[in-house]
Amino acid sequence: MTSTLEYVRASRWYGPVIALNDVTTTVGPGVTGLLGPNGAGKSTFLKLAAGQLAPSQGEVRVLGKPAWGSPELFHRVGVCPETDAFWDGLTGLQFLMALLRLTGFDDGECRRRADHALEEVALTEARDRKIGGYSKGMRQRIKMAQSLAHDPQVLLLDEPLSGMDPVNRRRIVDLVKKLGREGRTVLVSSHILHEVEAMTRRVLLIHNGRILAEGDVREIRDLMDEHPHTVALRARDPRALARAVVGSPHVLSLTFGAEGEWVTVQTARPDEFYSSVVDAAVEAGVSEMYSPDENLESVFKYLVAR
Amino acid sequence: MPIYEQTYRRYEARAPLRTLRFWPITREALRLILARRAFLGLLLVAWVPFVWRVIQVYIVTQYPQFGRVLPIDGRMFGQFLAVQTLFTLFISIFGGAGLIANDLRTGAILVYLSRPLTRRDYVLGKIGVLMALNLGVTLVPGILLYVVSVALAPEQFATWNLSWIGPAVLLHSLVLSLVVSLVALAASALSRNARVAGLTFFLLVFGLETVRRVLGWLYNRPESALLSIQASLESLGNALFGITDRALQLPWVYPALILFLVSLGCLAILRARVRAVEIVR
Repeated sequence: MTSTLEYVRASRWYGPVIALNDVTTTVGPGVTGLLGPNGAGKSTFLKLAAGQLAPSQGEVRVLGKPAWGSPELFHRVGVCPETDAFWDGLTGLQFLMALLRLTGFDDGECRRRADHALEEVALTEARDRKIGGYSKGMRQRIKMAQSLAHDPQVLLLDEPLSGMDPVNRRRIVDLVKKLGREGRTVLVSSHILHEVEAMTRRVLLIHNGRILAEGDVREIRDLMDEHPHTVALRARDPRALARAVVGSPHVLSLTFGAEGEWVTVQTARPDEFYSSVVDAAVEAGVSEMYSPDENLESVFKYLVAR
Repeated sequence: MPIYEQTYRRYEARAPLRTLRFWPITREALRLILARRAFLGLLLVAWVPFVWRVIQVYIVTQYPQFGRVLPIDGRMFGQFLAVQTLFTLFISIFGGAGLIANDLRTGAILVYLSRPLTRRDYVLGKIGVLMALNLGVTLVPGILLYVVSVALAPEQFATWNLSWIGPAVLLHSLVLSLVVSLVALAASALSRNARVAGLTFFLLVFGLETVRRVLGWLYNRPESALLSIQASLESLGNALFGITDRALQLPWVYPALILFLVSLGCLAILRARVRAVEIVR
Protein backbone atom coordinates (compact mmCIF):
# COMPACT_ATOMS: atom_id res chain seq x y z
CA MET A 1 0.00 0.00 0.00
CA THR A 2 1.33 3.44 -0.91
CA SER A 3 1.24 5.65 2.17
CA THR A 4 0.09 9.23 1.84
CA LEU A 5 0.43 10.13 5.52
CA GLU A 6 3.55 9.15 7.43
CA TYR A 7 4.22 9.73 11.11
CA VAL A 8 7.79 8.95 12.06
CA ARG A 9 8.41 8.98 15.82
CA ALA A 10 6.15 12.03 16.02
CA SER A 11 5.52 13.56 19.43
CA ARG A 12 3.76 16.73 20.43
CA TRP A 13 3.81 18.42 23.83
CA TYR A 14 1.65 21.28 25.06
CA GLY A 15 3.93 22.62 27.77
CA PRO A 16 4.36 19.71 30.21
CA VAL A 17 1.41 17.77 28.75
CA ILE A 18 2.16 15.19 26.09
CA ALA A 19 -0.64 14.95 23.53
CA LEU A 20 1.05 12.57 21.09
CA ASN A 21 3.78 10.24 22.18
CA ASP A 22 6.36 8.79 19.78
CA VAL A 23 3.88 7.78 17.08
CA THR A 24 5.09 5.89 14.03
CA THR A 25 2.43 4.87 11.54
CA THR A 26 1.29 5.29 7.95
CA VAL A 27 -2.08 5.89 6.34
CA GLY A 28 -2.83 5.03 2.71
CA PRO A 29 -5.62 5.66 0.20
CA GLY A 30 -9.17 4.78 1.21
CA VAL A 31 -10.98 5.58 4.46
CA THR A 32 -9.16 5.08 7.75
CA GLY A 33 -10.84 5.67 11.07
CA LEU A 34 -8.97 7.31 13.91
CA LEU A 35 -10.70 6.00 16.96
CA GLY A 36 -10.14 7.07 20.53
CA PRO A 37 -11.91 8.53 23.54
CA ASN A 38 -11.99 12.28 24.18
CA GLY A 39 -8.53 13.59 25.05
CA ALA A 40 -6.78 10.62 23.42
CA GLY A 41 -4.82 12.82 20.99
CA LYS A 42 -6.99 12.44 17.87
CA SER A 43 -7.21 16.16 17.11
CA THR A 44 -3.47 16.62 17.68
CA PHE A 45 -2.82 13.67 15.34
CA LEU A 46 -4.94 15.35 12.65
CA LYS A 47 -3.59 18.85 13.26
CA LEU A 48 -0.04 17.62 12.76
CA ALA A 49 -1.04 16.25 9.34
CA ALA A 50 -2.98 19.46 8.60
CA GLY A 51 0.17 21.53 9.14
CA GLN A 52 -1.51 23.44 11.97
CA LEU A 53 0.95 22.21 14.56
CA ALA A 54 4.64 21.46 14.32
CA PRO A 55 5.74 18.16 15.84
CA SER A 56 7.83 18.69 18.99
CA GLN A 57 9.86 15.70 17.90
CA GLY A 58 9.90 13.41 14.87
CA GLU A 59 8.33 14.03 11.52
CA VAL A 60 4.92 14.08 9.88
CA ARG A 61 4.84 13.85 6.09
CA VAL A 62 1.87 14.23 3.76
CA LEU A 63 2.24 13.11 0.15
CA GLY A 64 5.97 12.90 0.75
CA LYS A 65 6.39 16.45 2.06
CA PRO A 66 6.66 17.70 5.64
CA ALA A 67 3.18 18.81 6.74
CA TRP A 68 4.56 21.73 8.75
CA GLY A 69 5.77 24.62 6.60
CA SER A 70 4.63 23.30 3.20
CA PRO A 71 1.69 25.53 2.25
CA GLU A 72 1.69 24.27 -1.35
CA LEU A 73 0.58 20.91 0.04
CA PHE A 74 -2.81 22.31 0.95
CA HIS A 75 -3.94 22.51 -2.64
CA ARG A 76 -4.20 18.76 -2.23
CA VAL A 77 -5.39 18.47 1.35
CA GLY A 78 -8.84 19.23 2.74
CA VAL A 79 -9.41 19.76 6.45
CA CYS A 80 -12.73 19.61 8.28
CA PRO A 81 -12.10 20.94 11.81
CA GLU A 82 -13.98 19.68 14.81
CA THR A 83 -14.99 23.13 16.03
CA ASP A 84 -17.11 25.59 14.08
CA ALA A 85 -15.00 27.77 11.80
CA PHE A 86 -17.24 30.20 9.96
CA TRP A 87 -18.00 33.79 9.23
CA ASP A 88 -21.64 33.68 10.36
CA GLY A 89 -22.59 36.72 8.26
CA LEU A 90 -21.81 34.93 4.98
CA THR A 91 -24.16 32.63 3.13
CA GLY A 92 -23.08 29.03 2.53
CA LEU A 93 -22.24 29.85 -1.08
CA GLN A 94 -20.24 32.99 -0.18
CA PHE A 95 -18.31 31.03 2.46
CA LEU A 96 -17.27 28.34 -0.01
CA MET A 97 -16.45 30.90 -2.71
CA ALA A 98 -14.24 32.86 -0.30
CA LEU A 99 -12.30 29.75 0.68
CA LEU A 100 -11.95 28.57 -2.91
CA ARG A 101 -10.51 31.97 -3.85
CA LEU A 102 -7.92 31.46 -1.12
CA THR A 103 -7.02 28.16 -2.77
CA GLY A 104 -6.30 30.02 -5.99
CA PHE A 105 -9.26 29.46 -8.30
CA ASP A 106 -10.83 32.21 -10.39
CA ASP A 107 -14.42 33.32 -9.76
CA GLY A 108 -16.02 31.11 -12.44
CA GLU A 109 -14.21 28.02 -11.22
CA CYS A 110 -15.02 28.91 -7.59
CA ARG A 111 -18.72 29.07 -8.41
CA ARG A 112 -18.68 25.75 -10.25
CA ARG A 113 -16.82 23.99 -7.45
CA ALA A 114 -18.89 25.61 -4.69
CA ASP A 115 -22.13 24.51 -6.38
CA HIS A 116 -20.79 20.98 -6.76
CA ALA A 117 -19.66 20.79 -3.13
CA LEU A 118 -23.02 22.13 -1.89
CA GLU A 119 -24.76 19.48 -3.94
CA GLU A 120 -22.51 16.77 -2.48
CA VAL A 121 -23.59 17.69 1.06
CA ALA A 122 -27.24 18.40 0.09
CA LEU A 123 -27.11 22.09 0.93
CA THR A 124 -27.98 23.49 -2.50
CA GLU A 125 -31.34 24.82 -1.31
CA ALA A 126 -29.76 26.54 1.70
CA ARG A 127 -26.83 28.01 -0.21
CA ASP A 128 -28.15 31.59 -0.07
CA ARG A 129 -28.99 31.48 3.64
CA LYS A 130 -26.58 32.94 6.17
CA ILE A 131 -24.51 30.33 8.01
CA GLY A 132 -25.52 31.99 11.29
CA GLY A 133 -29.02 30.61 10.73
CA TYR A 134 -27.90 27.05 9.92
CA SER A 135 -28.74 24.14 12.22
CA LYS A 136 -25.97 22.09 13.85
CA GLY A 137 -26.21 19.44 11.13
CA MET A 138 -26.09 22.02 8.34
CA ARG A 139 -23.03 23.59 9.92
CA GLN A 140 -21.31 20.22 9.96
CA ARG A 141 -22.20 19.73 6.31
CA ILE A 142 -20.94 23.15 5.19
CA LYS A 143 -17.66 22.35 6.98
CA MET A 144 -17.50 19.11 5.01
CA ALA A 145 -18.27 21.01 1.81
CA GLN A 146 -15.37 23.45 2.34
CA SER A 147 -12.98 20.57 2.95
CA LEU A 148 -13.77 18.83 -0.34
CA ALA A 149 -14.67 21.75 -2.63
CA HIS A 150 -11.13 22.05 -4.01
CA ASP A 151 -11.07 18.34 -4.88
CA PRO A 152 -8.29 17.33 -2.48
CA GLN A 153 -6.38 14.09 -2.59
CA VAL A 154 -6.18 13.85 1.20
CA LEU A 155 -9.09 14.60 3.54
CA LEU A 156 -8.66 15.04 7.28
CA LEU A 157 -12.06 14.96 8.98
CA ASP A 158 -12.25 15.68 12.70
CA GLU A 159 -15.47 14.27 14.19
CA PRO A 160 -17.53 15.01 11.03
CA LEU A 161 -20.70 13.32 12.30
CA SER A 162 -20.83 15.12 15.62
CA GLY A 163 -24.36 16.35 16.39
CA MET A 164 -25.92 15.23 13.11
CA ASP A 165 -29.41 13.81 12.79
CA PRO A 166 -29.75 10.24 11.44
CA VAL A 167 -30.67 11.23 7.88
CA ASN A 168 -27.71 13.57 7.43
CA ARG A 169 -25.46 11.14 9.27
CA ARG A 170 -26.31 8.53 6.65
CA ARG A 171 -25.65 11.07 3.89
CA ILE A 172 -22.21 12.02 5.21
CA VAL A 173 -21.27 8.39 5.84
CA ASP A 174 -22.13 7.59 2.22
CA LEU A 175 -20.16 10.61 1.03
CA VAL A 176 -17.07 9.61 3.02
CA LYS A 177 -17.26 6.09 1.66
CA LYS A 178 -17.60 7.45 -1.87
CA LEU A 179 -14.55 9.69 -1.37
CA GLY A 180 -12.59 6.67 -0.18
CA ARG A 181 -13.72 4.58 -3.14
CA GLU A 182 -12.44 7.30 -5.48
CA GLY A 183 -8.96 6.56 -4.15
CA ARG A 184 -8.58 9.57 -1.88
CA THR A 185 -6.94 9.20 1.49
CA VAL A 186 -9.63 9.98 4.07
CA LEU A 187 -8.65 10.02 7.73
CA VAL A 188 -11.71 10.43 9.88
CA SER A 189 -11.61 10.77 13.65
CA SER A 190 -14.33 9.76 16.05
CA HIS A 191 -14.80 8.61 19.59
CA ILE A 192 -17.71 6.43 18.52
CA LEU A 193 -16.90 2.99 17.23
CA HIS A 194 -20.19 2.62 15.39
CA GLU A 195 -19.58 5.82 13.41
CA VAL A 196 -16.19 4.66 12.24
CA GLU A 197 -17.45 1.19 11.53
CA ALA A 198 -20.13 2.60 9.22
CA MET A 199 -17.43 4.22 7.10
CA THR A 200 -14.52 1.81 7.08
CA ARG A 201 -13.05 -1.36 8.48
CA ARG A 202 -9.57 0.08 8.77
CA VAL A 203 -8.90 1.81 12.07
CA LEU A 204 -6.13 3.32 14.14
CA LEU A 205 -6.83 3.12 17.85
CA ILE A 206 -5.35 5.98 19.78
CA HIS A 207 -5.25 6.32 23.54
CA ASN A 208 -3.24 8.62 25.81
CA GLY A 209 -1.30 9.92 22.81
CA ARG A 210 -0.18 6.51 21.61
CA ILE A 211 -1.34 4.31 18.76
CA LEU A 212 -2.65 1.36 20.66
CA ALA A 213 -3.58 -0.84 17.72
CA GLU A 214 -4.30 -0.67 14.03
CA GLY A 215 -6.26 -3.05 11.86
CA ASP A 216 -9.75 -4.33 11.29
CA VAL A 217 -12.56 -2.68 13.19
CA ARG A 218 -14.39 -6.01 13.56
CA GLU A 219 -11.87 -7.19 16.10
CA ILE A 220 -12.77 -4.17 18.22
CA ARG A 221 -16.43 -4.78 17.58
CA ASP A 222 -16.14 -8.27 19.09
CA LEU A 223 -14.73 -6.73 22.23
CA MET A 224 -17.60 -4.23 22.28
CA ASP A 225 -20.41 -6.77 22.31
CA GLU A 226 -20.40 -7.08 26.05
CA HIS A 227 -20.65 -3.30 26.45
CA PRO A 228 -24.07 -1.76 25.73
CA HIS A 229 -23.95 1.22 23.35
CA THR A 230 -25.60 4.46 24.50
CA VAL A 231 -27.30 6.79 22.02
CA ALA A 232 -28.81 10.17 22.94
CA LEU A 233 -31.39 11.65 20.54
CA ARG A 234 -32.91 15.13 20.64
CA ALA A 235 -36.41 15.14 19.18
CA ARG A 236 -39.24 17.58 18.66
CA ASP A 237 -41.61 14.89 19.93
CA PRO A 238 -39.55 12.67 22.26
CA ARG A 239 -42.57 10.67 23.41
CA ALA A 240 -43.44 9.68 19.83
CA LEU A 241 -39.85 8.65 19.32
CA ALA A 242 -39.87 6.60 22.52
CA ARG A 243 -43.11 4.84 21.47
CA ALA A 244 -41.59 3.98 18.10
CA VAL A 245 -38.33 2.50 19.39
CA VAL A 246 -39.27 1.00 22.74
CA GLY A 247 -40.61 -2.19 21.19
CA SER A 248 -37.46 -2.81 19.17
CA PRO A 249 -35.61 -5.99 20.18
CA HIS A 250 -32.33 -4.04 19.96
CA VAL A 251 -33.26 -1.57 22.72
CA LEU A 252 -32.12 -2.57 26.20
CA SER A 253 -33.35 0.51 28.05
CA LEU A 254 -34.79 3.95 27.39
CA THR A 255 -34.78 7.11 29.52
CA PHE A 256 -36.02 10.69 29.05
CA GLY A 257 -33.55 13.51 29.57
CA ALA A 258 -34.10 16.19 32.20
CA GLU A 259 -34.73 18.91 29.62
CA GLY A 260 -37.58 16.96 28.04
CA GLU A 261 -36.25 16.95 24.46
CA TRP A 262 -33.71 14.17 24.86
CA VAL A 263 -34.22 10.43 24.80
CA THR A 264 -31.33 8.17 25.79
CA VAL A 265 -31.33 4.61 24.50
CA GLN A 266 -29.06 1.70 25.37
CA THR A 267 -28.62 -0.96 22.72
CA ALA A 268 -26.46 -4.03 22.30
CA ARG A 269 -26.83 -3.93 18.50
CA PRO A 270 -26.11 -0.35 17.35
CA ASP A 271 -26.07 -1.27 13.63
CA GLU A 272 -29.55 -2.71 13.73
CA PHE A 273 -30.78 0.04 16.03
CA TYR A 274 -29.57 2.83 13.72
CA SER A 275 -31.16 1.13 10.70
CA SER A 276 -34.49 0.68 12.45
CA VAL A 277 -34.66 4.19 13.92
CA VAL A 278 -34.41 6.22 10.70
CA ASP A 279 -38.17 6.40 9.89
CA ALA A 280 -39.15 7.00 13.50
CA ALA A 281 -36.48 9.71 13.79
CA VAL A 282 -37.85 11.59 10.79
CA GLU A 283 -41.42 11.43 12.13
CA ALA A 284 -40.44 12.53 15.63
CA GLY A 285 -38.28 15.37 14.29
CA VAL A 286 -34.90 14.20 15.58
CA SER A 287 -32.50 17.12 15.16
CA GLU A 288 -29.42 15.90 16.97
CA MET A 289 -27.90 12.60 17.94
CA TYR A 290 -24.71 11.66 19.74
CA SER A 291 -23.19 8.80 21.56
CA PRO A 292 -21.36 9.33 24.84
CA ASP A 293 -17.98 7.62 24.79
CA GLU A 294 -18.00 5.87 28.14
CA ASN A 295 -18.48 2.53 26.41
CA LEU A 296 -15.47 3.08 24.17
CA GLU A 297 -13.46 4.24 27.15
CA SER A 298 -14.18 0.92 28.83
CA VAL A 299 -12.94 -0.99 25.75
CA PHE A 300 -9.75 1.06 25.80
CA LYS A 301 -9.29 0.34 29.47
CA TYR A 302 -9.75 -3.32 28.64
CA LEU A 303 -7.21 -3.15 25.79
CA VAL A 304 -4.68 -1.32 27.92
CA ALA A 305 -5.11 -3.83 30.72
CA ARG A 306 -4.42 -6.67 28.30
CA MET B 1 -8.43 -4.73 -7.27
CA PRO B 2 -8.58 -3.61 -3.64
CA ILE B 3 -9.49 0.01 -3.07
CA TYR B 4 -6.18 0.87 -1.49
CA GLU B 5 -4.30 -0.19 -4.60
CA GLN B 6 -6.26 2.20 -6.79
CA THR B 7 -4.53 5.42 -7.58
CA TYR B 8 -6.29 8.72 -7.33
CA ARG B 9 -6.98 10.17 -10.75
CA ARG B 10 -9.56 12.92 -10.40
CA TYR B 11 -7.28 15.40 -8.74
CA GLU B 12 -7.62 18.81 -10.40
CA ALA B 13 -6.55 21.28 -7.72
CA ARG B 14 -3.84 23.67 -8.77
CA ALA B 15 -0.40 22.79 -7.57
CA PRO B 16 1.56 26.01 -8.12
CA LEU B 17 1.33 28.72 -5.50
CA ARG B 18 0.19 32.20 -6.37
CA THR B 19 2.84 34.90 -6.21
CA LEU B 20 0.53 37.09 -4.13
CA ARG B 21 -1.09 34.48 -1.91
CA PHE B 22 -2.30 37.14 0.51
CA TRP B 23 -4.30 39.00 -2.12
CA PRO B 24 -7.58 37.00 -1.88
CA ILE B 25 -7.62 37.68 1.89
CA THR B 26 -7.20 41.41 1.33
CA ARG B 27 -9.77 41.50 -1.46
CA GLU B 28 -12.40 39.55 0.46
CA ALA B 29 -12.01 41.65 3.62
CA LEU B 30 -12.07 44.92 1.66
CA ARG B 31 -15.24 43.80 -0.09
CA LEU B 32 -16.94 43.14 3.26
CA ILE B 33 -15.72 46.37 4.88
CA LEU B 34 -16.65 48.59 1.95
CA ALA B 35 -20.14 47.09 1.89
CA ARG B 36 -20.82 48.99 5.14
CA ARG B 37 -22.37 52.37 4.32
CA ALA B 38 -21.23 54.00 7.55
CA PHE B 39 -17.66 53.06 6.71
CA LEU B 40 -17.97 54.51 3.21
CA GLY B 41 -19.26 57.68 4.87
CA LEU B 42 -16.14 57.81 7.06
CA LEU B 43 -13.93 57.43 3.99
CA LEU B 44 -15.79 60.27 2.26
CA VAL B 45 -15.43 62.54 5.31
CA ALA B 46 -11.69 61.75 5.31
CA TRP B 47 -11.46 63.46 1.90
CA VAL B 48 -12.97 66.73 3.14
CA PRO B 49 -9.53 68.15 4.21
CA PHE B 50 -8.28 67.43 0.69
CA VAL B 51 -11.12 69.46 -0.80
CA TRP B 52 -10.39 72.26 1.67
CA ARG B 53 -6.67 72.30 0.77
CA VAL B 54 -7.49 72.41 -2.96
CA ILE B 55 -9.77 75.39 -2.28
CA GLN B 56 -6.94 76.97 -0.23
CA VAL B 57 -4.48 76.58 -3.12
CA TYR B 58 -7.03 77.96 -5.55
CA ILE B 59 -7.84 80.99 -3.37
CA VAL B 60 -4.18 81.87 -2.87
CA THR B 61 -3.43 81.56 -6.58
CA GLN B 62 -6.40 83.83 -7.40
CA TYR B 63 -5.90 86.23 -4.48
CA PRO B 64 -2.19 86.25 -3.48
CA GLN B 65 -2.91 88.52 -0.49
CA PHE B 66 -4.46 85.51 1.28
CA GLY B 67 -1.06 83.80 1.11
CA ARG B 68 -0.09 85.41 4.43
CA VAL B 69 -3.02 83.81 6.30
CA LEU B 70 -3.20 80.62 4.24
CA PRO B 71 0.38 79.92 3.17
CA ILE B 72 0.85 77.34 0.45
CA ASP B 73 4.24 75.64 0.67
CA GLY B 74 5.82 72.34 1.79
CA ARG B 75 4.46 72.76 5.30
CA MET B 76 0.92 72.66 3.98
CA PHE B 77 1.46 68.99 3.04
CA GLY B 78 2.81 68.14 6.51
CA GLN B 79 -0.21 69.78 8.15
CA PHE B 80 -2.52 68.00 5.72
CA LEU B 81 -1.03 64.60 6.57
CA ALA B 82 -1.17 65.37 10.31
CA VAL B 83 -4.94 65.81 9.96
CA GLN B 84 -5.18 62.65 7.83
CA THR B 85 -3.40 60.72 10.61
CA LEU B 86 -6.52 61.22 12.73
CA PHE B 87 -8.66 59.68 9.99
CA THR B 88 -6.34 56.68 9.69
CA LEU B 89 -6.84 56.10 13.41
CA PHE B 90 -10.63 56.08 13.10
CA ILE B 91 -10.51 53.98 9.94
CA SER B 92 -8.26 51.49 11.72
CA ILE B 93 -10.63 51.27 14.68
CA PHE B 94 -13.74 50.69 12.60
CA GLY B 95 -12.14 48.69 9.80
CA GLY B 96 -9.36 46.90 11.62
CA ALA B 97 -10.63 45.94 15.06
CA GLY B 98 -12.40 42.82 13.85
CA LEU B 99 -9.90 41.72 11.22
CA ILE B 100 -8.18 39.11 13.36
CA ALA B 101 -10.41 39.17 16.48
CA ASN B 102 -13.40 37.88 14.50
CA ASP B 103 -11.35 35.09 12.95
CA LEU B 104 -10.14 34.06 16.40
CA ARG B 105 -13.69 34.18 17.80
CA THR B 106 -15.33 32.23 14.99
CA GLY B 107 -12.44 29.81 14.51
CA ALA B 108 -12.21 30.92 10.87
CA ILE B 109 -8.45 31.19 11.30
CA LEU B 110 -8.45 27.38 11.18
CA VAL B 111 -9.87 27.29 7.69
CA TYR B 112 -7.56 30.07 6.50
CA LEU B 113 -4.53 28.14 7.70
CA SER B 114 -5.72 24.87 6.19
CA ARG B 115 -5.48 26.52 2.75
CA PRO B 116 -2.26 26.98 0.77
CA LEU B 117 -1.34 29.95 2.96
CA THR B 118 1.29 30.57 5.60
CA ARG B 119 0.76 32.61 8.74
CA ARG B 120 2.83 35.32 7.04
CA ASP B 121 0.40 35.34 4.08
CA TYR B 122 -2.50 35.66 6.51
CA VAL B 123 -0.92 38.63 8.32
CA LEU B 124 0.11 40.24 5.02
CA GLY B 125 -3.46 39.85 3.75
CA LYS B 126 -4.87 41.52 6.83
CA ILE B 127 -2.27 44.32 6.83
CA GLY B 128 -3.05 44.80 3.15
CA VAL B 129 -6.64 45.70 4.07
CA LEU B 130 -5.62 48.45 6.48
CA MET B 131 -2.78 49.67 4.28
CA ALA B 132 -5.16 50.02 1.34
CA LEU B 133 -7.69 51.94 3.44
CA ASN B 134 -5.11 54.13 5.16
CA LEU B 135 -3.14 54.90 2.00
CA GLY B 136 -6.48 55.76 0.43
CA VAL B 137 -6.79 58.70 2.83
CA THR B 138 -3.11 59.68 3.05
CA LEU B 139 -1.01 58.85 0.02
CA VAL B 140 -3.74 59.12 -2.62
CA PRO B 141 -5.10 62.55 -1.56
CA GLY B 142 -1.55 63.71 -0.66
CA ILE B 143 -0.17 62.97 -4.10
CA LEU B 144 -3.34 64.28 -5.74
CA LEU B 145 -3.01 67.50 -3.73
CA TYR B 146 0.58 67.85 -4.92
CA VAL B 147 -0.48 67.32 -8.55
CA VAL B 148 -3.36 69.82 -8.18
CA SER B 149 -1.00 72.33 -6.49
CA VAL B 150 1.56 72.01 -9.28
CA ALA B 151 -1.21 72.50 -11.83
CA LEU B 152 -2.86 75.46 -10.07
CA ALA B 153 0.25 77.19 -8.74
CA PRO B 154 3.19 76.18 -10.91
CA GLU B 155 5.20 79.22 -9.83
CA GLN B 156 5.10 78.00 -6.20
CA PHE B 157 5.33 74.22 -6.65
CA ALA B 158 6.79 73.42 -10.08
CA THR B 159 10.26 74.38 -8.92
CA TRP B 160 13.27 72.16 -8.45
CA ASN B 161 13.76 73.09 -4.79
CA LEU B 162 10.23 71.84 -3.90
CA SER B 163 10.50 68.56 -5.82
CA TRP B 164 11.08 66.79 -2.47
CA ILE B 165 7.40 67.17 -1.58
CA GLY B 166 6.22 64.20 -3.66
CA PRO B 167 8.72 61.70 -2.16
CA ALA B 168 8.13 63.17 1.32
CA VAL B 169 4.36 62.65 0.99
CA LEU B 170 5.02 59.09 -0.20
CA LEU B 171 7.42 58.30 2.65
CA HIS B 172 5.34 59.82 5.43
CA SER B 173 2.11 58.24 4.14
CA LEU B 174 3.77 54.83 4.01
CA VAL B 175 5.28 55.12 7.49
CA LEU B 176 2.16 56.39 9.18
CA SER B 177 -0.13 53.92 7.40
CA LEU B 178 2.15 51.00 8.22
CA VAL B 179 2.57 51.88 11.89
CA VAL B 180 -1.13 52.58 12.43
CA SER B 181 -2.08 49.37 10.56
CA LEU B 182 0.34 47.26 12.59
CA VAL B 183 -0.88 48.66 15.91
CA ALA B 184 -4.52 48.13 14.93
CA LEU B 185 -3.83 44.58 13.78
CA ALA B 186 -1.88 43.72 16.93
CA ALA B 187 -4.78 45.08 19.04
CA SER B 188 -7.16 42.94 16.97
CA ALA B 189 -5.02 39.85 17.58
CA LEU B 190 -5.03 40.42 21.34
CA SER B 191 -8.74 39.75 21.74
CA ARG B 192 -11.50 37.53 20.34
CA ASN B 193 -13.92 40.43 20.62
CA ALA B 194 -13.80 43.17 17.97
CA ARG B 195 -15.15 45.78 20.40
CA VAL B 196 -12.51 44.98 22.99
CA ALA B 197 -9.87 45.11 20.24
CA GLY B 198 -11.19 48.50 19.09
CA LEU B 199 -11.13 49.80 22.65
CA THR B 200 -7.57 48.51 23.14
CA PHE B 201 -6.45 50.37 20.03
CA PHE B 202 -8.31 53.50 21.12
CA LEU B 203 -6.65 53.45 24.55
CA LEU B 204 -3.22 52.74 23.07
CA VAL B 205 -3.45 55.69 20.73
CA PHE B 206 -5.67 58.30 22.35
CA GLY B 207 -4.91 57.30 25.95
CA LEU B 208 -1.16 57.68 25.44
CA GLU B 209 -1.73 60.92 23.54
CA THR B 210 -3.69 62.27 26.52
CA VAL B 211 -0.86 61.27 28.86
CA ARG B 212 1.60 62.97 26.52
CA ARG B 213 -0.42 66.18 26.51
CA VAL B 214 -0.72 66.21 30.31
CA LEU B 215 3.03 65.65 30.74
CA GLY B 216 3.81 68.22 28.06
CA TRP B 217 1.63 70.73 29.88
CA LEU B 218 3.25 69.92 33.25
CA TYR B 219 6.91 69.78 32.20
CA ASN B 220 6.89 71.51 28.81
CA ARG B 221 9.41 69.06 27.35
CA PRO B 222 9.20 67.72 23.75
CA GLU B 223 10.48 64.28 24.87
CA SER B 224 6.97 63.51 26.15
CA ALA B 225 6.05 63.11 22.46
CA LEU B 226 7.90 59.81 22.51
CA LEU B 227 5.20 58.39 24.80
CA SER B 228 2.53 58.73 22.15
CA ILE B 229 2.30 56.95 18.79
CA GLN B 230 0.27 59.80 17.34
CA ALA B 231 2.74 62.47 18.56
CA SER B 232 5.72 60.44 17.37
CA LEU B 233 4.17 60.24 13.90
CA GLU B 234 3.48 63.96 13.93
CA SER B 235 6.98 64.75 15.18
CA LEU B 236 8.46 62.69 12.36
CA GLY B 237 6.19 64.47 9.87
CA ASN B 238 7.22 67.86 11.25
CA ALA B 239 10.89 66.96 10.77
CA LEU B 240 10.19 65.79 7.23
CA PHE B 241 8.14 68.81 6.15
CA GLY B 242 10.04 71.46 8.11
CA ILE B 243 7.20 72.38 10.46
CA THR B 244 8.13 74.13 13.71
CA ASP B 245 6.19 73.02 16.77
CA ARG B 246 8.02 73.37 20.10
CA ALA B 247 5.93 70.68 21.77
CA LEU B 248 7.08 68.10 19.20
CA GLN B 249 10.49 69.46 18.27
CA LEU B 250 12.81 66.43 18.38
CA PRO B 251 15.58 65.06 16.17
CA TRP B 252 13.74 62.79 13.70
CA VAL B 253 15.75 59.77 14.78
CA TYR B 254 14.01 59.56 18.19
CA PRO B 255 10.41 59.28 16.99
CA ALA B 256 11.61 57.05 14.14
CA LEU B 257 13.24 54.71 16.67
CA ILE B 258 10.09 54.65 18.84
CA LEU B 259 7.90 53.85 15.84
CA PHE B 260 10.30 51.12 14.75
CA LEU B 261 10.19 49.54 18.21
CA VAL B 262 6.38 49.79 18.32
CA SER B 263 6.22 48.04 14.94
CA LEU B 264 8.54 45.27 16.13
CA GLY B 265 6.37 44.79 19.22
CA CYS B 266 3.26 44.53 17.04
CA LEU B 267 4.93 41.93 14.82
CA ALA B 268 5.89 39.93 17.91
CA ILE B 269 2.25 39.99 19.10
CA LEU B 270 1.03 38.88 15.68
CA ARG B 271 3.58 36.09 15.59
CA ALA B 272 2.46 34.84 18.99
CA ARG B 273 -1.29 35.16 18.43
CA VAL B 274 -1.85 34.14 14.81
CA ARG B 275 -2.00 30.37 15.13
CA ALA B 276 -4.40 27.73 13.98
CA VAL B 277 -4.22 26.12 17.39
CA GLU B 278 -4.37 28.09 20.60
CA ILE B 279 -1.99 26.50 23.04
CA VAL B 280 -2.97 26.99 26.67
CA ARG B 281 -0.08 26.23 28.97
